[in-house]
Amino acid sequence: MDKKTVSTIAYLSRLSLNEENEDKITEDLKNIIKFVDQLDGADTNNIEPLANPLEKTAKTRTDNVTAKNRKEVFLERSPKSNEDYFLVPRVVE
Amino acid sequence: MSIQYKSIKELKNMLNDKDISHTELVQETFLNIKNNSALNSFITLNEEESLKKADNLDNNPSSGSLAGIPIAQKDLFCTKDLKTTCGSNMLSNFIPPYSATVIENLENAGCISVGKTNMDEFAMGSSNETSFYGNVQNPWGENLVPGGSSGGSAAAVAAGIVPAASGTDTGGSIRQPASLCGISGLKPTYGRVSRWGMIAFASSLDQAGPMARTAEDCALLLNEMCSYDEKDTTSIDEVIPDFTENLNSSIQGLKIGLVKEFDLSKLDNDVVHVFEESKKHYESLGAEFIEISLPNITLSVPTYYVVAPAECSSNLSRFDGVKFGKRCDNPKDLEELYIKTRSEGFGDEVKRRILIGSYVLSAGFYDAYYKKAQQVRRLIKNDFDSAFKSVDIIMSPTTRGAAFEAGSKSDDPIQMYLEDLFTIPANLAGLPAMSIPNGMIDNKPIGLQLVGNFLDESRLLQAAHNFQISTDWHLKTPSGNKS
Repeated sequence: MDKKTVSTIAYLSRLSLNEENEDKITEDLKNIIKFVDQLDGADTNNIEPLANPLEKTAKTRTDNVTAKNRKEVFLERSPKSNEDYFLVPRVVE
Repeated sequence: MSIQYKSIKELKNMLNDKDISHTELVQETFLNIKNNSALNSFITLNEEESLKKADNLDNNPSSGSLAGIPIAQKDLFCTKDLKTTCGSNMLSNFIPPYSATVIENLENAGCISVGKTNMDEFAMGSSNETSFYGNVQNPWGENLVPGGSSGGSAAAVAAGIVPAASGTDTGGSIRQPASLCGISGLKPTYGRVSRWGMIAFASSLDQAGPMARTAEDCALLLNEMCSYDEKDTTSIDEVIPDFTENLNSSIQGLKIGLVKEFDLSKLDNDVVHVFEESKKHYESLGAEFIEISLPNITLSVPTYYVVAPAECSSNLSRFDGVKFGKRCDNPKDLEELYIKTRSEGFGDEVKRRILIGSYVLSAGFYDAYYKKAQQVRRLIKNDFDSAFKSVDIIMSPTTRGAAFEAGSKSDDPIQMYLEDLFTIPANLAGLPAMSIPNGMIDNKPIGLQLVGNFLDESRLLQAAHNFQISTDWHLKTPSGNKS
């Protein structure tokens, strides 16, 4: 974990770090990764990963319409929209 | 008649006996909220709507089990038409178009949601110091943290402003603040309470639960919070018992496990003393103690700090400035819109966890970190499964100490993460766990943690209630013993 790795993962996360706290964040992440490296000591041969404590298959429900189209309600909460779409800066020139 | 520090049960009786009207109760609650504004426990108040509901209840009595009971809702639950920030600048303007299932369930039972409580940003923190809306003050002392992330909920109950609050617990966020504020809090079995409408942090760990003055009140709240919910694919479709039913049954013969691997000698003598006194008390109630071994439990905190950030980095990718929440000013293109919005919208701790998550999930590291942590998670769960073959509940302190001063741990993330040493294992294994007040250290409360087997909340509540009807730690208040 160094500054270069941190700036790569920051870009992957779509975050920009300002220069003053870049050193601090790098140091923090280094310590956290060192801390979680304790897991190396555990013998996990042939142990199936556990993603969720319930381990049950997701239940399905019948495909009935349960909600009305509330397009206006959702669009009006957007930072920028017109009557049909969420608006973002132009993507295609 | 003062309503401060009254339990749900007491307020229900007062309302039934017409000692107070619903409107008076709500008015008095808002007076208490305003008199305690220095605690900063609320982000948004819901006064007008609350008074309307109270007036309606005065005119049309309701049969709801919690009719007219004021409740503070953690600002992580979506509340229809009421601002929901999750403690973040990112959602400073977010007004949800729907309510979380938990909110609907409580309101259908008659609860009046008086406001939204302050919390660590996106529930990431153990001291309420990461909130965009400022620190919450612990009512037990100036400059003391209330714990986190449900710090505002815990402080509001501890100050006697409201008898009940909702909380959420991903690694201890109900139990740790309950311990530091001297109240009772329960994290149910994963899947017992619907996560629909809860703003997600780590989806395989998050669980909502009640925070109140007593275990009995927690049972009353849990009765209404639980439901099978088709809208949450991890909601458990099992019979929901009446959690108040066995509260008064004796715990004679209850087998309580003590975890060999929790090295209590590293804790302050005062903390150990308080814990030993509670053990003696449980023995006097007829419980029996058995030493158990959970060999992998010491790896819980490192496991958590891979799993939780991984899920967080994925969940928080939805905050991109496009569909709701904050958007930066004048982005030059779409990528800058994403980056600037997220960089301005999130605070340092949230960024730190997103970065760790992106790192442990990135190509080349996935197996070494994320998969490894999930494997250790199974080992931890297996340890609990074996232990519960010989014991009914597992007991430990909830926290390593009483409330600490603001600023004293915020520079060192790992010290802060270790705050949740005793609470994290129950989240990893999906087990129910609660914290109840069991002593005082330098005039600050501290809590006892009880962890139960899968879906066995009733037994936890029974053990906690038996403790509370024979002790008075839960009756202590920042302004003296409750009469």
